[in-house]
Amino acid sequence: MLIIMDEMGFERLLKICRLHLTVEEAEKIRKDLEEVVAYFGVLDETDTDGAEPAYHPVEMLQLIGDDREKEFENKEGLLSNAKTYRFYLVGPNV
Amino acid sequence: MKIGLEVHVALQTNTKLFCRCRNDAAEVNTAICPTCMGFPGSKPVLNGSALSIALGIAKALNCKTREKVSFIRKVYFYPDLPKSYQITQLDEPMGYDGGVEYGKRKVGIRRVQLEEDPARIIREEEYTLIDFNRSGVPLVEIVTEPEIVDPEDLRSFLFELESILYYLGIDIEKELKIDLNISLGRNRVEVKNVTGIRNLVDAARHEMERQKALLDSGKDVVAETRSYNEGKGVTEESREKESDEEYGYIYDPDLTEYSLTGVEFAKPLMAGKIAHDYAERYGANEDTLRELLMFNRDALRLLEHAKDRRSMKSIINAISLLRKYNGMEMDEDSFDQMAMLLEKGGYVGEETVKKLLSGGSIDINVEEVKVEDLDREILELINKNEGLIEEYEKNPKTFNFIVGEMMKKHKLNPRYIAERLGKLLEERRK
Amino acid sequence: MSSISEFYEKDRGEDYYNRLIEEIGGLNGKLNAFNAIGSISEGFPFSVKDNICVKGIETTASSKMLGSYVPPFNATVVERMLKKGFGFLGKTNMDEFGFGSFGLNCAKPARNPFNEKYVAGGSSSGAAVATSILKYHVAIAESTGGSISTPAAFCGVVGFTPTYGTISRYGLIDYANSLDKIGIMARSGDDAREVFDVVRGSDGNDATCTDPDYHDRNTGNIFVIDELTNGASEEVMREFSRLLDSLAGKGYRIERKSLKILEKAVASYYVIATAEASTNLAKYTGFKYGLKNDKFYQKYNDFFSDARENFGIEAKRRIAIGTFVRGASVKDRYYVKALKVRRLIINELAGILKDGFILNPVMPIKTPSIEEAESLDPLTSYKADMFTIPPNLCGFPHVSFTYAYPDGMPIGAQLTAGHFDDYALLGFLKEWESGFKYRFRYDIGAL
Repeated sequence: MLIIMDEMGFERLLKICRLHLTVEEAEKIRKDLEEVVAYFGVLDETDTDGAEPAYHPVEMLQLIGDDREKEFENKEGLLSNAKTYRFYLVGPNV
Repeated sequence: MKIGLEVHVALQTNTKLFCRCRNDAAEVNTAICPTCMGFPGSKPVLNGSALSIALGIAKALNCKTREKVSFIRKVYFYPDLPKSYQITQLDEPMGYDGGVEYGKRKVGIRRVQLEEDPARIIREEEYTLIDFNRSGVPLVEIVTEPEIVDPEDLRSFLFELESILYYLGIDIEKELKIDLNISLGRNRVEVKNVTGIRNLVDAARHEMERQKALLDSGKDVVAETRSYNEGKGVTEESREKESDEEYGYIYDPDLTEYSLTGVEFAKPLMAGKIAHDYAERYGANEDTLRELLMFNRDALRLLEHAKDRRSMKSIINAISLLRKYNGMEMDEDSFDQMAMLLEKGGYVGEETVKKLLSGGSIDINVEEVKVEDLDREILELINKNEGLIEEYEKNPKTFNFIVGEMMKKHKLNPRYIAERLGKLLEERRK
Repeated sequence: MSSISEFYEKDRGEDYYNRLIEEIGGLNGKLNAFNAIGSISEGFPFSVKDNICVKGIETTASSKMLGSYVPPFNATVVERMLKKGFGFLGKTNMDEFGFGSFGLNCAKPARNPFNEKYVAGGSSSGAAVATSILKYHVAIAESTGGSISTPAAFCGVVGFTPTYGTISRYGLIDYANSLDKIGIMARSGDDAREVFDVVRGSDGNDATCTDPDYHDRNTGNIFVIDELTNGASEEVMREFSRLLDSLAGKGYRIERKSLKILEKAVASYYVIATAEASTNLAKYTGFKYGLKNDKFYQKYNDFFSDARENFGIEAKRRIAIGTFVRGASVKDRYYVKALKVRRLIINELAGILKDGFILNPVMPIKTPSIEEAESLDPLTSYKADMFTIPPNLCGFPHVSFTYAYPDGMPIGAQLTAGHFDDYALLGFLKEWESGFKYRFRYDIGAL
């Protein structure tokens, strides 16, 4: 089944993604999205009754961390990637 | 009217929920690492203590639990959210379908979930400042059913909830952050991020009035998100919130499912229920008991220890005295001595409490003064001092003189002496 | 003997590493294998795909969004290699964030060392080129849906993608967390084995990394699945048939099977991969690291959206697709459904793999020219991964190896084994290499 992305639906999707696109990009991606999502329709026909979703491909053991502090040794390296002011990271206006 | 809550409780673990940075560092951006700053390549690893505490909360709120819990990514964009998604829970939370009883009321608990706190953000004129110390701090979100009926009920519910949290070892000095869902009519309004019980009750009251005014004038209440302005005491429209469609929840594939089998958790303690039961069983005043027990681990400890050894009246009396003289940490044996002394009609003042606290013992051999003897001695004292009665009629303080004189002779509780004196005077008047 | 042991036995002279770097530099202008070259001065050289963090070295995943990002920590694999005495040589080129099969989705696409007009394959394009041009070197690469097998095949090197979760992903810049696997490219199975032994093993920093009991099952059976050959070009099938004959000659029992559900593998894979990717890419908002937007006065939504214009077109496409398929109203139909289909495929394939290996051509087409690959529309290009996707979707270990050189270009096959049968694959390679000599056009650093 072909999903038709109307103009509004697509605009809303881009807003959720926080993506600004050029007109050409938007046109192209919208067309590709329709095609690709239509192709995903092959999943519909599969009988998956009783199948548990496979969140991971192999069975996972659980790793639980103990509650002991382990200081990260290179904090300057974390902050030096960004603009800072009195050790605060500077972020955009809200 | 229906009120539902989303209560956020910060857990005081040593480290954060998904990394081993210190929880609750003071100096800006000192408890940070690639994981809690959302750096590319970083991965989360679940804190076992947070899991235990969260499970304790779910159990204390009478929630059902599944065999396993898992985490999801809730995607939204805000400068305080380093990965632009919050790791939280959805289909496999810590607990679901619980409830809290308080007095004759009961409010359902829809879900208890474990999640990470975003960073702390300071708004400036043209930018924001971000401190990642708080980013990744474990939070438990408690979602209630919309079953709270009015602001007074809201206060009672939160009092009970805070008591339960207190007895799970959670520091309730840190005020809870609460989102409030409130509807008088059809549409539900969400009031976000109210801090503290007092503000919350105020916010509920204001929002209730606002909605009532709208409905009374024939207008509709718009389903929206508002925020509470403490200063003005009103709720205001706030920023657009994402819908479920936009959050686009997916299972967090960096984490696995976690079995709850064998996870240890703190046994809950329902002080409200204990106060109620004791009031019934021992014929004590429930309000007094609640007042003493809801937020006082020591009071409960001492009460539990002494409940069948001493009279409830002397126990309550002893606990009140300890509160007055900052002696709540007193050990059980000393408390026993103190309650016994009170029970025998002995006197306990600050001196006595201090002495017991510093490991000393007190003389609990209150001389057994028979009531008849005491009464006789009081009468003798009155008779010896001519005019005392007349003076008493003018100045009731004279009373204290008699009590004082009697205390020189016997180690008795002044209240007890006063009680007898009152009776005798009464009789005399007749 | 592994080339690693051989390297340490030989006398390298004083100037070895300087000459090595100089020669690589010369060729790199033409082939674009490396995004950054380190300052190696000792040890057996290893390169690291540019989506794996190396402390202090610019790491961009070939994305403008991560331009000038310098990680403050080492990925666990890097840490383990350095600790074992390997020498860090440089960061290798790739499709942006791993999004691509041909290595073209980046600023300067890598080129095939056998013929520069041809693609190197993706997304671990640079890793394959580096392995193909360097005599003594191993590459730490990464595969999500075929990103090791494909470039390894196109560049004529060994590509080893181990079972999901055997090598820690700590420090790997995520594409799709439940699919991403760090792996190894080398010039021999022995080299790959030696590196695997160094880097595998559980890690307190990655909750999905396991320490399994490895088996070493080689039953002598090889299954050829119709759905993993259907659609292959005649030329590819002609060569592949010869490979089957040759393996039969070595005593392998070849059996054909059909597994219809594999026709859903590409869709299941792209739903899961884009859903996870779209959440992973949400963190790039232009102020914490990498590309910076300095217009802080903008409201955050505009600020973020402006910064995110710097993603490449394929990244934008996958963000849009992935955000769509996990939206609440369609999530069950796409995202959850894809996870269930994955479960069915895992079960089916595991049933086959307990009795033997699965062998298939790596790609349905021979190595395309850059021009050809550029002309493919996205869906066709996604479908080109149909042979490499099943083991990747299901976390099965697989190796890609060269078995012929029609027209002088290498062509590769992919052998898949059951979960944790990783060593059986490496054992197979050793056996294969005893009767087949790989060819290379360059031997930089030869002693």
